[in-house]
Amino acid sequence: MNFLTLAAKNLLRRRGRTFLTVLGVAIAITVLFSLLSLNSGYEKELNREMGSLGVHILAVPKGCPYEAASLILHGGVIPKYLTATDLKNVSSIDGIGLATPMLMQQFIRQDAKTGKDVPHVVFGIKIDEVRELKPWWKVQGRFFDDNETNVMLVGRGLADKENLTVGSILPAGPFKNFTIIGILERTGDQDDQFHFVPLAEAQRVFNKTGMLTTIAVKVKDLSQIEKVSVDMEKIPDIQVVTMTQIMGTIMNLAGSARSLLLTVIIIALIISAFGIINTLLMSVNERTREFGMMKAIGASGLDIGKMVLAETVFITLVGGLIGTTAAIVGSSLIEGFVKSMLPFAPRGSMVTLNPELIGFALAFSVVLGLICGLYPAFISSRLSPMEAIRGGVE
Amino acid sequence: MSGIIEAKSLVKTYRRGREEIHALRNVDFHVNEGEFVSIIGPSGSGKTALLNVLGCLDSPTSGSLRLNGTETWGLKESKLVKVRRENIGFVFQQFYLMPTLTARENIELPLLFSKKNRNKSRIDDVLRMVGLSDRGDHLPSQLSGGEMQRVAIGRALINDPRIILADEPTGNLDSVTSQMIFELFRELNRKGLTMVIVTHNLDLARQAQKMYTLRDGQIVGCDDMACISGRSDIEVQQVAV
Ligand SMILES: Nc1ncnc2c1ncn2[C@@H]1O[C@H](COP(=O)(O)OP(=O)(O)O)[C@@H](O)[C@H]1O
Ligand SMILES: [Mg+2]
Repeated sequence: MNFLTLAAKNLLRRRGRTFLTVLGVAIAITVLFSLLSLNSGYEKELNREMGSLGVHILAVPKGCPYEAASLILHGGVIPKYLTATDLKNVSSIDGIGLATPMLMQQFIRQDAKTGKDVPHVVFGIKIDEVRELKPWWKVQGRFFDDNETNVMLVGRGLADKENLTVGSILPAGPFKNFTIIGILERTGDQDDQFHFVPLAEAQRVFNKTGMLTTIAVKVKDLSQIEKVSVDMEKIPDIQVVTMTQIMGTIMNLAGSARSLLLTVIIIALIISAFGIINTLLMSVNERTREFGMMKAIGASGLDIGKMVLAETVFITLVGGLIGTTAAIVGSSLIEGFVKSMLPFAPRGSMVTLNPELIGFALAFSVVLGLICGLYPAFISSRLSPMEAIRGGVE
Repeated sequence: MSGIIEAKSLVKTYRRGREEIHALRNVDFHVNEGEFVSIIGPSGSGKTALLNVLGCLDSPTSGSLRLNGTETWGLKESKLVKVRRENIGFVFQQFYLMPTLTARENIELPLLFSKKNRNKSRIDDVLRMVGLSDRGDHLPSQLSGGEMQRVAIGRALINDPRIILADEPTGNLDSVTSQMIFELFRELNRKGLTMVIVTHNLDLARQAQKMYTLRDGQIVGCDDMACISGRSDIEVQQVAV
């Protein structure tokens, strides 16, 4: 017999109480584990979705009108240009995942039906890099290679408007002998309305050799956007437009959702800790006589404290195991509920079977047990044997 | 002659709110090694208080207590635990067994605290000594009152104490069983253990060598049963009045 078997037997003796305490711990750990895994899952998913926004930062030539961003987003011509040196400088900044050069130009063509002049926006791009930025791009037909000539991709919206099909050749304008080799599937954004050609071709057609209008940047880690854009600002010639106009709002929402989540976690912890301490203290009170007897037969306060602590750790460990299991099993339920409450809920699954998190939840429940058991253990170790025995008799 | 228990001018005052309760008023108490002493007295006279002070379960308000030559006054709790472990075996009226532990495990329990090496045959010896050789694996709920008290006595014996302090050990037992428990005490006493037994039962108390009478926290009488039973080798105790 040792302290552990003694603790186990003591717990089995008070089955009802033990069960309730274990249940209390289990619920606390379930909540904690769910919230924590939601928190980490939320962050991960959010990061992933932000990643799929593609471009995080745009570099445009300095001196552009402040509306450069909207100009770029919606099409238009920027009168100044960036160079390969700028691209090199941007690429060498820490934290940049991808920096791809673009030349955006526009030409006017008369609409066949209405006879009005309509601006057409053409992007010269490096196809592989852009596809990395926009992994959702799918094409009917095929993508071009960067060194092909006289080839063009068009957005779905543009294709429909102009009655373009794969294989057709643009009838007029500066690209009049370009073959449309692919039509992008609908993306729901401006890409649907644009022409895309290899960067070198755009530079050739518009006579802008070596010139760029934009460098589109994707950062490795979203939290680095600020830092990277500050670094980019330091490059002369460059004006930085971050996507924080859009993303900042989302990030703020996500941030407040997270602090809400954390608050709930902390409150849940405090409540469960007090619940556990209370239950343990009650059981200590009930057992003063038993502790008194133990002192009478040679137990020191430390011995009794150890026993109470062993019982507590036992309870919390079992509770932690049950709670973690329950959280994993019930995670989908909880996830559905939480998602309905969060702004900008990610599409993917937020609760993941993260072994570190499981380890943490278990370690945490034991630490919780130690903390919650310490006070009752201290109280029980301080009971004078005489008081304890009398207390029990009366 | 120096005794194994030497208590001088013991005072124990309890405070209950503003009221002071004098459980022990200036008690001198002397027990020689190997003696069998009983204490009687009406309810509330301070018998339990005295026994608890003697067993270092409770510290006296004032007075001195030497156990086996060690002055216990002012000792820290950690030292008192040691004194208790090495010298004293306690037996209570309510047995105070752990209901989840078998008789054997209950007897073994003090070893867990004293960290003495656990020798299975030692536990067997004790079980035999208290007459429970065939009851070792029974839970307290499967034992009779007398058997439960035997387990408690076995538990008091396992650490080889010098003194057994028993507080109304037969208070919950019928007269036949009580007599059997007393026989066990006498047998242990013959093996050299010092016995101090508090009891309500005058018949049993008279079977001790000395019988002290407590009243209102004071020792008001000491009868030397040895004289009656023909033994004269025990000095008559000075009685504080
Ligand atoms: N912890 C305590 N607090 C207050 N009064 C106590 C306490 N312990 C004992 N007493 C009082 O001290 C007196 C002696 O009690 P006790 O030694 O238990 O008597 P006995 O065992 O002879 O019946 C009683 O009046 C009792 O009420
Ligand atoms: Mg009493």
